[in-house]
Amino acid sequence: MSAIHPSELAFISRHAPFDHMELVHVLWMLERMHLGYYAEGEVIVTPEQGAVDRFLVIKQGMVHGEQNVAHASEADTWLELAEGECFPLGALLAKRPVASTYRAGSDTFCYELAAADFSVLIGLSGPFRDFCTRRIANLLEHSKQVIQAQYSNSSVEQQSLASPLSAIIRRTPVTCSPQTTVRTVLEVMHEQRIGSMVAVDGDGRPLGILTLHDVLERIALPQTDLTQAVINVMSAHLSILPPQALAHEAALLMAKQGFRHVLVVENERLVGLVSEKDLFALQRVGLRQIGSTIRYAETTEVLQQAAADIRKMAHNMMAQGVAPEQLTQFISAFNDLLTARVVELECKASGLLGTALHDGLCWMALGSEGRFEQTLNTDQDNAIIFAVPEGMDEEQVRTQLLPLAKRINDTLALCGFPLCKGGIMASNPKWCLSLEEWKHTFSGWISGGSPEALLHASIFFDFRALYGAPHLAEDLRLWLARVASDSNLFLHLMAENALRNRPPLGLVRDFVVGKENTLDLKVNGITPFVDAARIFSLAAGVTQTNTIQRLRLSAAKMNLHASEIDAWIDALLFIQVLRLRHHDEASTRGLCEDALDNRIDPEKLNELDRRILKEAFRQARKLQARLALEYHL
Amino acid sequence: MNWLTRWFDRRPQLSLAQQERLTIWQELPRVVLNSPVVESRYVVVDVETSGLNLLEDKLISIGAVAVVNGKIALGDSFYVVLQQRAASEKGNILLHGIGTAEQLEGALPAEASLAFLEYLGKSPLIAFHVTFDETMIRRAMGTYLGYSFKHSWLDLAYVMPGLNPPLARRYRALDDWIGHFGIRIDVRHNALADALATAQLFQVAISQAAQKNVTHFAGLRDLEKAQRWVNSVS
Repeated sequence: MSAIHPSELAFISRHAPFDHMELVHVLWMLERMHLGYYAEGEVIVTPEQGAVDRFLVIKQGMVHGEQNVAHASEADTWLELAEGECFPLGALLAKRPVASTYRAGSDTFCYELAAADFSVLIGLSGPFRDFCTRRIANLLEHSKQVIQAQYSNSSVEQQSLASPLSAIIRRTPVTCSPQTTVRTVLEVMHEQRIGSMVAVDGDGRPLGILTLHDVLERIALPQTDLTQAVINVMSAHLSILPPQALAHEAALLMAKQGFRHVLVVENERLVGLVSEKDLFALQRVGLRQIGSTIRYAETTEVLQQAAADIRKMAHNMMAQGVAPEQLTQFISAFNDLLTARVVELECKASGLLGTALHDGLCWMALGSEGRFEQTLNTDQDNAIIFAVPEGMDEEQVRTQLLPLAKRINDTLALCGFPLCKGGIMASNPKWCLSLEEWKHTFSGWISGGSPEALLHASIFFDFRALYGAPHLAEDLRLWLARVASDSNLFLHLMAENALRNRPPLGLVRDFVVGKENTLDLKVNGITPFVDAARIFSLAAGVTQTNTIQRLRLSAAKMNLHASEIDAWIDALLFIQVLRLRHHDEASTRGLCEDALDNRIDPEKLNELDRRILKEAFRQARKLQARLALEYHL
Repeated sequence: MNWLTRWFDRRPQLSLAQQERLTIWQELPRVVLNSPVVESRYVVVDVETSGLNLLEDKLISIGAVAVVNGKIALGDSFYVVLQQRAASEKGNILLHGIGTAEQLEGALPAEASLAFLEYLGKSPLIAFHVTFDETMIRRAMGTYLGYSFKHSWLDLAYVMPGLNPPLARRYRALDDWIGHFGIRIDVRHNALADALATAQLFQVAISQAAQKNVTHFAGLRDLEKAQRWVNSVS
C-alpha cells in the first residue's frame, strides 16, 4: 500500500524534464526515490567518491558546484543549482566520478535516484533521455564561465568586450543645438576637455558630430567663419548603435567605417557616446587602428604586422569570453580587409587599376573563408571570376591575370595564410575563369557527381566576393541556387558523401580516437555540420554561405524545428571554441602557424568540456540522421 | 454472526487468515534498538482522528513514511483511511479534508490495522507528540485486532528541544519546528503529508545529533528522556 503524496507528484511535475514525462514514468521514478537531507556546507557528491551512485533533484535549498580552475588560487563556486534542478547528469551518463564537488549552499533536501534506476529511466522515458543528453546550452554557459576564469590572469583588469554599451557610457553626452556658433562649440570643447560635440534637435535626436580631428580639416585649414552655425561644419554621417549593443559591435563598427566615435541612441534620442578611447580601455590592441593600418598599408611588411596584430587581438578577445560566432566574424572581417588590401596593392603594382580588366575582376573567397568561419590557421582558398573585355578572349585575360594572382597568393602566404596544398588558389589556371566558364564547370560537377566533383563542390560552392566586381559572384550564386535545388540526384550524392564522415562516438557513448589518441576537431567535428548545412541550403535555394545562416534560413523549407537548429548551432559553436582555444594555446606556446593543427586529445579536456564535446558530436549525429532521412539513405 | 454482533462485540472476531497474519507479524524478530541511525529503518507516522479526545475519538487515517539509512524512501510509504460507521462532524472534516464518502468507503478497520503492522514490521516508530499518535493507534489495534500494541517510539517533540536548547522555550508545535528549518508542507493535516514533514524534521535531527556525536538510536532516546525531565522540572 505504498503511497506517494499528491504534493510530491505536484512538485516534481512542475519542473523540467518531469513536466514532459508520462505520469507512469514519473510515478515509477518517485517510488524508487529517496529523500536526503544535507545541512548547509555538507558535501553531497565529490570526485573522490568514485563513479556517481545517484541522480539528484533538489526539493528545497541550494547546491553549489565547485571546481578547481587551473591557475586559480582557490576553489571557485562556478555553478549554483536551485530547487527543481537535477545533477550531476554528465558524470552519471558517462558513469564517471563528478569533476566538481557539490555542496549544500543552504539546508537542502534532495530527491535521489540510484544510478541503476537512472539508467532504466533513461531507457523508459524519451523526454527524460532528451533532457539528460541535450542540455548543451546550459552546459555551454558553464563552460564559458570556466574559460573566462582560466583566462582571467591575462585580462582581469580589462572590462569585457562582451559588456553592453550602456555599461561603458561614462557620462551624459555634452550636446549643443545645431545653430550654436562654431566658436562657442570650440570654447565648450576646450573648457570641458572633450574630444567631440554632438548637435541634437529639440527632441534630443542627433544631427551631426564634430570631433577634434575634424577641427584641422574642416575649420582651421579652410579658415571657416567661426560665427556660422556649427551644423554647417559637422559630419552628418553618424555611426549609431542602441545601448543594448555590445562593446565589440562598437569596435567592429569603428574598424569597418574608420570612425572614432559611436553614438548610443535609444528611441531616437542620444543617450551616450562611446569613443575609441573608451574601448581602448577594454582592449589593448586598438581595433580601428588595425583597420586603418590595413587600409592605408603600402608595403607587405606593414600588412604582416597587421596580420600579427589580428592574431593578438583574437587572443585578447578569447580571453574576454567573446562568443565564437562574433570572434570568427571579427577574424573574418579583418582577414577580408587584409586580403582586399593585398589584392588592391598588387593590382596597383601591375598597373591594372582603372583598366577594363580590373573593372571585370572579382576575387573570391572559398571554403571556410567563404563561409566567414576562418580560424587562426586557415589555408588560402581563393579563385577569380572575370568578365571578358571586348576584343579579348578568355585565354588572353587569363594570361594577364595569372601572374598577378600568383603574386597575391605569395603575399598572402607571407601574411600568415599558408598556400593551399591542393592548389585551390586563383593562380591555378583551373580556378581563374570567366563567369561562363564557371557555370560550365559547376554544371559539369552537378551532372557528373564523381568523388572529385563532390569534393570540389564542397569547397567552391561556399564562394563569396571579396574584392572587385561583386555582381559577377552574385550572378553565379543566383544561377547556382536555381540549378542545384533542381538537381536531386546531385544533392543525394552530396548527402551520401557527407554521411561517410561519421562523428567519432563509440557505442558506449565514448570517443573513438585514432592511434595517436586524438580527435580532429575540424574533420570530425565541424565538417558534418558544414556539409549538412551546405546541402540543406542548396536544396532550399538559400544563397548564404555561412553555416549558421544556412541552417537558420533553410529551416522553414526543410521542415526543421527551431529547437533542433539551435541545438546544432550551439554544438557547432562549441566545437569552434575548442578549436580556437587549441590554436590559441599552440600559438602562445610559440608554434609557428604551419604547425597549428586541429587535433586534440579528449582525455586532456576537463570533464565539462569533454561532456559537451560528446554532446556536440551527438548533435552532429542527429543532424546526419536528419540528412539521411531527407535523402532516404 | 451478523454484522451487529460483530460491531458491538468487545473482542473483534478475526478471520483465520487475519489471525494468521497477526501471528506472523508478532513473531517477526525484534530489531536491535541500539544500532546506528543511518544504518536502520524507522517509520515516521502521523494520524488524523475525529477529534482530540484520546478516549472517545476515532482513528480516521494513518500516514507513514520510512526513513531507511538516513533517507526517506518515498516508495516505502503508507496511507490508509479507516472505514467509519458515521462520518465525523463538519469542522473535523474541514481540518483533515477526508470527506463523508471517503470515510464511509474506507478500508475495513481490521484490514487497515493489519496492513499498517505489516508495513511497519518491527521498525521503531517516530512521531511528533507521540502520546497522541501512540494512544490512537493502540486503541485502534485493541478495538479492531484485539491486540495490545506495544512498540518503541521516539518523540521529536522532545528530541528537537533537546538538540536546540535556545529554541526550546519558544517552539512547541510541529509547525514551529518545520517553519524554523524551512521545511515546506503543501497540505497540513493530511496524515501522509504531515508524516513526510515530520520525517524531514527527523533527518534534521539526525544531522544535528551527529554533530554532537550522537549517532545511535539509544542516544536519541536519551536526549528525549533528558528533555522530558527538563520539561517536568521547569
